[in-house]
Parts: sequence; structure tokens; C-alpha cells
Amino acid sequence: MAETTIQLDILTPLGPKRHGVVVPGVEVPGLLGELGVLPEHVPFITPVVPGVVRFRDGGESVRIAVGAGFLEVTRDNRVVILVERALEVSEIDANKAREDLKRVQADLSHDLGSIDAAEHRKLVTEQGWLEAQIRATQP
Amino acid sequence: MANLKEIRNRITSVKNTRKITSAMSRIAAARLVKAQQAAMGARPYGERLDQVVGSLVASLGSGEGEGEAGEAGAAHPLLLKRSGNGRVVIVHITADRGLAGGFNANLNRAVGNFIRKEREAGNDVVLLTVGKKGRSFFQHSGQRLVRHHDAPTLGDLVVKAKMVAAEVMAMFTGGKEGGDTELPQVDRVYFAYNYFKNVLTQQPKIEVLLPFESREVVNDERVLPVLEPGRDALLGHLLPIAVESRLQQAFFNSIAGEIAARRTAMDSASDNATQLIRELTLFYNRERQAAITKELMEIIGGAEALKG
Repeated sequence: MAETTIQLDILTPLGPKRHGVVVPGVEVPGLLGELGVLPEHVPFITPVVPGVVRFRDGGESVRIAVGAGFLEVTRDNRVVILVERALEVSEIDANKAREDLKRVQADLSHDLGSIDAAEHRKLVTEQGWLEAQIRATQP
Repeated sequence: MANLKEIRNRITSVKNTRKITSAMSRIAAARLVKAQQAAMGARPYGERLDQVVGSLVASLGSGEGEGEAGEAGAAHPLLLKRSGNGRVVIVHITADRGLAGGFNANLNRAVGNFIRKEREAGNDVVLLTVGKKGRSFFQHSGQRLVRHHDAPTLGDLVVKAKMVAAEVMAMFTGGKEGGDTELPQVDRVYFAYNYFKNVLTQQPKIEVLLPFESREVVNDERVLPVLEPGRDALLGHLLPIAVESRLQQAFFNSIAGEIAARRTAMDSASDNATQLIRELTLFYNRERQAAITKELMEIIGGAEALKG
């Protein structure tokens, strides 16, 4: 009685993005590299880095840009992705993201010496998040 | 006998007050839906995160799984029970504005009692206030305030939770003495907020934030999942997120609670005003009638005297 589907939840502090969607599998940007989760995966926890979550919902393929967080696979065949933010492709303003990314990259390149560690970390996080958004819009 | 004009002025003034309170109630009602949805939508995230981190921490305590988890050296700094200087900090989360019934006052009182108890136990208490009402209550009582933030809004809540979390984690793991960015070292961190139970009830709550304790009763039969990377690295990644998330949840509850409390308070204020206006109008009419009757009697009396 092998399961052929898996239940997916994507939760953020601003409310769930997806709740109890039945999918054949899901691809997630993990800390140790891109990983795919298929049905009957062993219970599993790993951090998620900013990137794109991909899965098929019915006939259409869905891409969602996510921020940092973590992924949990539970014993009852559920995948829970908890991330600090998530945007669907339709919610992303790709042009604005590209402009913001240019600005952030510029700040990062010529301000390296003067900005302190916390500010630098913030910029790097922002860069990762913007890149994730842009990648989500490129099929 | 009260002057008719005085009563009339009084009625006008109460009517104006009622206009204000009912407008405030309607504004609160409109904002309430959004805040309530935000608070409810955030709960699954916070609860799940709490459960996962809770079961990780619990597995650490029971010593099962990989590594020498039983040794104190292996524990994450945010989990260690400290007994250094006996100082505790309370993150006191209130609103910026009043006119919300007992919303701020209840929490201020609860925190005041809590501080007294901690003092009796020989602990030094410092406050980190979020929201102006909490600050103005404790400012003049000689209570030491280390930091202040204005109350969060739905827009800047996530960022503010990050900021406050960074500050309390810094205080807990060492602190910074001196300078204008002084953050004293503390043994424990509490946070106090109004829990949004429903629109009519907000519960003042004071909970431990650090050292991190798991809230849920963890199911022991649960198979420990595969962790990648190892448990300590994972906890290092997740614990700061969990601390942030607890503050976020508290902020969400506080925002929704403030608006709900204001709506309830302003509703009953409007009802009271309506009641007062009815009583005053009745009194006004009776007085007016009395004045007319008296005048009439005088005229009749005068006419009778002339006739006589």
C-alpha cells in the first residue's frame, strides 16, 4: 500500500500559503543543497535557505519563492515548510525585485569595509530573498 | 432647580462625546477583522515551530539519539539555566494608546505584581517596554527600563520581533555593559502580553522566553526524525527563530487584543452615553414643563388679583 501522494503545508508568520495540498512530490532549497521529497520519505528535519519551492498541484506546476526557515517531514506522510516569508509567482514584481537586487548588490560591493557585520548580514539575506523571487518568475 | 440652559448644554456635550466614541468603535470594528485574521493566520506557524523545537529540546534532555547530549557542554547557550546575578528582564508588551478599557491597565497591574514577587525572591528586575502605555506606567516608579520600542503594527511586526529578540538574546548570553547601548546581563527573560482569547476576552500572560522551555507536552512515542545537519547545528539554526516566533505571536495577540478591547470599551461607552442622554432629556422636559406651569400659575394668580 505504497502512498503515491504527500500532503504539503507551507506556513509563514503572515498566515499559511498552502494548507493540506495533495502533491506527488515537492522540491525544496535545503541548507545542504536542493532536495526533493517524495511520498513515504523518512521523518526528517532540515533548514531551508531562500530559494524556490516547486511542486505540481493538479495539472499545473507551482513555484513559490521562500525565505529562510525549515522543512519537516512527519511520519504521517506530511511535508511542512515553515519559512519567514513566501510569495507566489503572481505576487512577485519581477522588475522591482531586479532593481532592488541591483541596489543591494551595489551596496554590498562598495560598502564592504565600512558597514558592520549585522548590516552586512541583513544585506546578504535581502540579496538571497530577491534572487529567490527572480528565479521563481523564470520558468 | 437646575437651569434649563445648563441641562441643554450638558445634553449637547454628551451627544458630542457619543459621536466620538461610536466613531472609534466603528474604526476599531473595521480594523479588527484584519488584525484578527492576522493573529489567527500566524498561529499554525508559531505552534508548529514550537512543537518541532520543543521535541528537539526534549530529546536533548532525555539523552537519546546522537552525541553526548546529556553533557552540559553540548547544550545550546539559549537553553542553559543560569544562576549568575539573579537579574531578570521582562519584555512588557502594551499598546501605544489608551481608551481601550482595561487592556493596558490589567497587564500593567499583572507585571507590577510579578515584579514585586521577583523582588521578594531576591531578584533584580529590569524592563524592556514595547508600547508607550507600559513605559509611562513604570517610568515614574523608579523601575529600571533598559530599552523602549513603540507598539508594533501589522506592517513592522516581523522586523520589530527580530530586533527585540536580538536584544534579549544578547542580554541573556552575556550582555553589554557601559556606553549608550547598555544591555545588562540577565539570568532569565520573561515576556508579558495580552493573549487574544476572543473578541471579548484578553488575558494578561507572563511567560518565560529564555532559557528556552518547550511548552507542549511532547509525545514520547514519536520516532526521532532524521536530522540534517546534526541536532546541535539544527538547534543553533532553529532556536533563534523560535524565540523570534514567540515574540511575533505575542505581538499579533497584543495588536488584535488592543483593537478588540477598544471596540468593546467604546461600544459600552456609546451605550452609556445614549442612556445618559435619555435621562437628561427626560429631566429637561420635566423641568421645562414645571417652568411653564409655574409661569401660568403666576399669570392666573395675577389676573385673579386684578379681578378681585
